Order: sequence, then C-alpha cells, then structure tokens
Amino acid sequence: MRQLVRTARLVVIGGGISYRALFNWTTPSMFIGTLLVGPVLQLLFFVYLGRQLHVADDRFYVLGNAVLASSTACVYGGTMAVANERRYGTLGAVLLSPRRRAPLWFGRALPYVLNGLLVSGFTLAVAALVLGLPVPADSVPQIAAVLVAAAAACSAFGLALGALGLRFRDVFLVSNVAASVLLLLTGANVPRATLPPWMQAVGEALPLTHAAAAARRAAAGQGLDTGLLGAELAVGAGYLVLAVLLLSLFERGSRRRATLDVL
Amino acid sequence: MLAIEAHGLRRTYTSRTGWLRPRRTTTEAVRGVSFEVASGELFGLLGPNGAGKTTTIKMLNTLLLPTSGTARVFGHDVVRDPVAVRRRIGYVFGGDRGLYERLSALDNLRYFAELYEVEPCEQRRRIAELLELVGLDGRERERVEGYSRGMRQRLHIARGLLHRPDVLFLDEPSIGVDPVAARDLRRTVADLADAGTTVVLTTHYMAEADELCDRIAVIAGGEIRALGTPGALKARVQERDVLEVEARGVSETELDRVRALPGVRDAAVDDRGSVQLLTVQSDRGTELHARVLAALDGVRLGRVTTREPTLEDAYVAIVAEAERATAGSVGSAAASTEVPA
Repeated sequence: MRQLVRTARLVVIGGGISYRALFNWTTPSMFIGTLLVGPVLQLLFFVYLGRQLHVADDRFYVLGNAVLASSTACVYGGTMAVANERRYGTLGAVLLSPRRRAPLWFGRALPYVLNGLLVSGFTLAVAALVLGLPVPADSVPQIAAVLVAAAAACSAFGLALGALGLRFRDVFLVSNVAASVLLLLTGANVPRATLPPWMQAVGEALPLTHAAAAARRAAAGQGLDTGLLGAELAVGAGYLVLAVLLLSLFERGSRRRATLDVL
Repeated sequence: MLAIEAHGLRRTYTSRTGWLRPRRTTTEAVRGVSFEVASGELFGLLGPNGAGKTTTIKMLNTLLLPTSGTARVFGHDVVRDPVAVRRRIGYVFGGDRGLYERLSALDNLRYFAELYEVEPCEQRRRIAELLELVGLDGRERERVEGYSRGMRQRLHIARGLLHRPDVLFLDEPSIGVDPVAARDLRRTVADLADAGTTVVLTTHYMAEADELCDRIAVIAGGEIRALGTPGALKARVQERDVLEVEARGVSETELDRVRALPGVRDAAVDDRGSVQLLTVQSDRGTELHARVLAALDGVRLGRVTTREPTLEDAYVAIVAEAERATAGSVGSAAASTEVPA
C-alpha cells in the first residue's frame, strides 16, 4: 500500500511539477496564443477551405480539427517532457533517481492528456458557437470520451517522440514532421478514402485517426463506437509501451556509450 | 565498511565524425584508477581539465559504465546494482545548470524529493531543514531563473542532500562562486563530513582541498599520480623553494630560459588579469633570484617574493611530472587514437 501511494505521488505530483518545469507554453500568452487561438484558427481555415472546395461539410472539419487540436499540446508537450531535461541540464539528476522509470515517465505524459482535452474541448466549443453548429447534448459525453482517448493516445505518441530526444539532439525536428503527418494522415482534415492505400495503412497506426472517426459518428448521433474507441486506446497503449522501452533502451545505452550530455 | 572501492577503473569514449569518410576516435579518459574511501572520509579528487575526474565520478555514481574494472559503493556494485547505489549517494553539480529554471527552489526540491524517495510525511520538514542549512529560507518561493550562481549552488547542495545520502559527490561545487559563498559552502561541506557523510570532492581550488580533505588523489591523463593526505602531498615539495614573480609579457621563450636554469625543478605562468604570476620551484637553498630576473630580461617585472611550498605547488609539480611522463602523446589530456570507421 505504501509503495502504491509513493508510486501514485510520483505519477501525479511528480508529473504535475514536471509539467510546470518543462512545458515551454505555460505562460498565459503562449498558452492562449499557441494552444487555444492557433487550433481555432486552423479549424476555421479548413472549414472555409472545405466550403470553397466542396470536399466535406462543416461537421467533418469541426470534429476532425477538435480532435486534432490536442496534438499541439500532446506531441510537443510529450517531446518537451523528456527533451527539455537536456536543455536544462537536469537529465543527470533525474537519471540518478532510484525510482522505477515507467511511473516516472508515465507521470510526465499525464498532464498533457488533461491539457490536450482542454484544448480540444475549447476548440470544439468555440467552433460550435462561431459556426452555429450545435452538438447534440446526448452526444457530448460520447465525444468527451473520444477526446480523452485521443489526448491520451497523442500524449503517449509525444512521449515516444520525446524518448528520441535521449538519443538525438534535434528531436523537435521530428516533432514538427510528426505534427504534419498527423494533419495529413489521420483523416482529421483530409478524408482518408482519398489517400493512397499506404497512407491509409500508416494512418491506422497513428493516434487521432480512430478518434476522429469516432467523434464524427458520435456527433452524427450514431452513438459511441467502442471499436474505434478501443482502437484509439490500443494505439495509445502501443506508443506508451514503445516510449517506456525506448527511454529504458536509451538510458542503458547512455551508460554504455556516454551518449547523453547529462551533467 | 569502505564507502567506495574502485579497482582498475577504465573508461574509453568512442566518437564518430564525418559522413563521407567517417573516422572513429577513441579516447581513454580514465586508465586504471584504483582507490578506496573510508566511511566518513572527505576525499579530494584533483586534476587539470580533462584529467578524468568527472568521468571517474560518473562511473562511481552509475551514470557511466566502466569499460573495465570494478567499483562498489558501500558494497553495492555500480554496474550490477545501480539502484542500491543511487539510494545511498547524492550528487552535487558545479555550475549554473541542472535546475528547473522556471520552478521555485521549493518546487525543485519537492520534485526531487519525490524522485529520490523521501518519505511523503518527511518531505516538508526535510526541505525546510535544508533550505535553512543552505541559507535559502525566505527565498524558496522565487523562481530559480532569478537566482545568483551562489544561490543556485546552494540549491544544488540542498537537492543532493534531500535523501540523506551516505556518500555525497561534489563536482567542483565552488566554481564561479564568490569568496563569501565559497567559505559558507566549505563550512557546510565540513559539517557534513563531521556528521559522518562520506564526501568525494573535485575542485580546482587547492586551498579548498587543503582545508577540507582528509586525503587527496591527484589525477592526470586518466591515471592517479599521487594519493595521500594534504600534508603528505605537500611533503613531496618540501625540499623545494618557491619564487614568485609578478610580470607582464612572459612568453614561452622566457619560460623555457627559466626552466633551463640549474636547480629549477619547475616553472609555470598563471595569467591573472593584466598581470602574470610566474612561479618557479627550485631545489631548496638554490639562490635563484638574480638568475631568474636575468632570464626575464626585457619583461616588465613587479613584486618578487619567496615563500614556503603549498599544496598548489605540490599539485603543479605532480601534474607537470605526469605531463613529462606522457610527453610525446597528447599532453595532460586523455590519450586519443583516430582510425577510419
């Protein structure tokens, strides 16, 4: 029991403090500008572009972009949660901790799930108000569940990218590419049926793909598609396992090859 | 029980450069270092930059695996049982980095209290105790980014002590710290050792090592060149006289002329702002004054003094001897070899 409490503290308290320590966008101006205003403008851009090109209706873009909105916080946040340790020179002090690594890193990802959820919820609410696209009340809990799953999967994805920061210096380059890949391949803005088969296959393994589809179904009154929700959570779990494995692998490699500028 | 046992520690770094014609460089940073530190001892590790001090410490604190050799901390092997070692050690960095800038000192300590397994019920009391110990109480809610270097250094120490480690590694803790803060820091370190904590200290400040350390190892070129009490190390140069000359414009030519004088054992120049300090070590009783001044003909001279040898003189002599012994390879730094990858 005592061990459980200590682990829970590491995940919750440790995760919360590390979020404030390592996430670059916690100042009000950065948070509002980057995480709240940016996704709303992106959503409006695609809605009006979609109207112009007659590709899909407003609902398609509103739901897709609301799901995608969490990616900025989750992908970049997850990356910062690991990679910024090198920037501050704190990685050595963290690696000297005797604590188990899985809860330590899992706790790092947790605040970004909440952050991503907040951003997605805000984007959806603003879009619904501005575009006059009401979300049916009975769909709200279902959409909320989908957004939680999307933010969780995306945070795990971000953490896996952050793990690369233990091996490669320019990891934010990878995050930039990953954000573009999510924009293109998850079906948030480009209908997946129009993509070549290999892109569709890659999209299957990405976070947000299944969530975007599930959110659209829920908003259309088709209920919560547990298959899609489960697929989204499975993708997230896969990235979480990958992240923990990579972090463990790179930590051990750093001891052997001295690849980390830890101190 | 011994706090630290290091036997034949060796560490080689390999790096690759170039894409089209890659070359692999192998550097022997530490070459067979062996020493033991008793529980409660304050042990100094001195050496020039690149001598292998930090690499040795990183192997002892589990951040690096030795290429060969063994090391144990309170009986726990640093390779096979790193978690047990980490529970018993604290590490204090020198310099500005290594703290979460955007957090307050309090939050930095709260976070590391979680990481270093400080019992939840004890955290608040322990953090308050340490803030008082290092003199940061009252400033603990300020962001670290506004802290001076001395305050950061004190926070580093508080962090290193959070979990009451049995062994504390202090890696150049007084680097860049003002004299008053450095004196406080020395007092804190001495108090820790008095309270039974084993301390391993690396420093470039000889007076600090002389004042604090029970024993000192001088490491150069990745090997231990001398090991003993400060008194024993000083005794190595007791048969010498030391002449100090303040000067401006001493070049290698003049330095070589001084070194070539009969009876001169060593000569070194230290740049101190606009003035240079030439230190000449000679066999005791050698009358050098006039001959050194003659060798410095054309150089602007200031005060000339003769004094008893210090630990710094002993250190300089040991390092110079090590450099001479490895002359023809790569100087005082670790040996490197470069081959096509």
